[in-house]
Amino acid sequence: MTDEPIRLTSTVKGAGCAAKLAPGDLDRALCGLDLPVDPNLLVGLERADDAGVYRITDDLAMVQTVDFFPPMVDDPYQFGRIAAANALSDIYAMGGTPRTAMNVVAFPAKTLDLSVLRAVIEGGLAVLREAGVVLVGGHTIEDPELKYGLSVTGFIHPDRILTKRNLKAGDRLVLTKPVGTGIVTTAIRGGLADAAVTERVTRNMATLNRAAAETMAKFTVHACTDITGFGLLGHLAEMVVDSGCGVRIDAAAVPCYPEALQWAAMGLIPAGAYNNRDFRGSFVEFGAGVPRRLQDLFFDPQTSGGLLIAVAAGEAEALVAALRANGVAAAAVVGEVTAGPADRIVVE
Amino acid sequence: MNNKLDCRGQNCPVPVLTVKKTLEEASLSAITVLVDNEAARQNVCRFLEHQGYAVGSEGIEGGFRITGTRGEGTGAVASEPAPPVRERATGRRRVMVLVTGEHMGRGDDGLGEMLMFNFLKTLPEMGPDLWRVAFVNGGVKFTAQGSDGVPILQGLADAGVEIASCGVCLAFFHVLETMQVGTVTNMLEIVTWMQQADSVITV
Repeated sequence: MTDEPIRLTSTVKGAGCAAKLAPGDLDRALCGLDLPVDPNLLVGLERADDAGVYRITDDLAMVQTVDFFPPMVDDPYQFGRIAAANALSDIYAMGGTPRTAMNVVAFPAKTLDLSVLRAVIEGGLAVLREAGVVLVGGHTIEDPELKYGLSVTGFIHPDRILTKRNLKAGDRLVLTKPVGTGIVTTAIRGGLADAAVTERVTRNMATLNRAAAETMAKFTVHACTDITGFGLLGHLAEMVVDSGCGVRIDAAAVPCYPEALQWAAMGLIPAGAYNNRDFRGSFVEFGAGVPRRLQDLFFDPQTSGGLLIAVAAGEAEALVAALRANGVAAAAVVGEVTAGPADRIVVE
Repeated sequence: MNNKLDCRGQNCPVPVLTVKKTLEEASLSAITVLVDNEAARQNVCRFLEHQGYAVGSEGIEGGFRITGTRGEGTGAVASEPAPPVRERATGRRRVMVLVTGEHMGRGDDGLGEMLMFNFLKTLPEMGPDLWRVAFVNGGVKFTAQGSDGVPILQGLADAGVEIASCGVCLAFFHVLETMQVGTVTNMLEIVTWMQQADSVITV
């Protein structure tokens, strides 16, 4: 093969979770819809959460989610791995165990070789295997742009569901992966990222949140979400809204890609970051010492980001230590839940 | 000289890359960029500010017009550091500084740390000859979150000096993910730079 290597990111307009529909648009489209009512639907659309949960018996519930997006890295196999890790993440964020998955694929068969499709799906399968999840089928359509993801089903005990909505004043917030993937992948698209940071961001995005989820299950966790397209502060806003609590984030404690800070200062920021800021910026108050590039980073849409865990204050250090011991190296306490001002995020 | 760029119809990061390429080819005291979406407007403004331009933008039909100006006599901008895009001017030497620890010299570590901060603060006095500052062993801590070295080194980076930290060392001290300034490097790169540099100063 003497062909130029495929540069997947040059074939699409949006990248990864940065391609998500702007959050305000989604709300406008969905508000006021007549949603089905079912007493067994424990977590549904009416409160946006990471995944839906449906009770089957008193001690078994099904967790369902779907996620797909255009490539944010150039290598088809790595794109497949990242898409799978990202799709499975919603199940882990709910405290569930993923069991089955179905591929969701849009493929430009006229412009890309079928070997690319095969590599993408192989990457996805590799991560499913690592997670102990079986592929049961899928659906593929022809489309001008490649998109890949999975619909995933898992199981959970109905009493052990972790939603975004249960913050308790005093809780510490623990984040398990560095933020900045949207900015770094924008730099990759722009040809500015070197091999080292490309490898690091790819590895982190393809890392399952499984170890993080299994570790947190041993602690007193009140709420959890995973950080994806709405960025750290967008997802945090979903946790804090109507919680009656406030949140204080220690900007210096948030793990991040140092290169992303430089690229943010240069304006290599995905449009999704600006959408997130427009939509959720009103919840957030930045201290005078937080530079704009850090603010941009905290609204940066993440692909396959980490879990954001609200844990009982006294257990925070032990949780971080356990996470690090289980290979979740970036885990850090990034802030705390406060008694107020209610529904506000203060970043200092 | 093309100092008017029409980036309408382009999505991020293309407008920034177009402006970057233009400025790498020619140093412009004034530039005008047209874009058609808000993200591109903000990103191009950030880029030009980062390059030391005074930036303004206004809405025009179907988008925005961004103007950047730079040069002597334009107030605050005149004191901005040189643009990060470093040109290989003839006659300029390439000095590489290798920082191998947290302390300068031996005798007293407290004194040594103070001296090292003073050294880093004084490095800009080398002017454009300063080419790269590489950090190894305990030196990498200067580039990590919480160190007083970060703003000093960010100033150097903004002036176009390449800052790099040894990846193995960052990992060893558990500051790989909290590195705030510069890039991660390895021994092969460091050795290559030593060979390329006109002189290497080790502290």
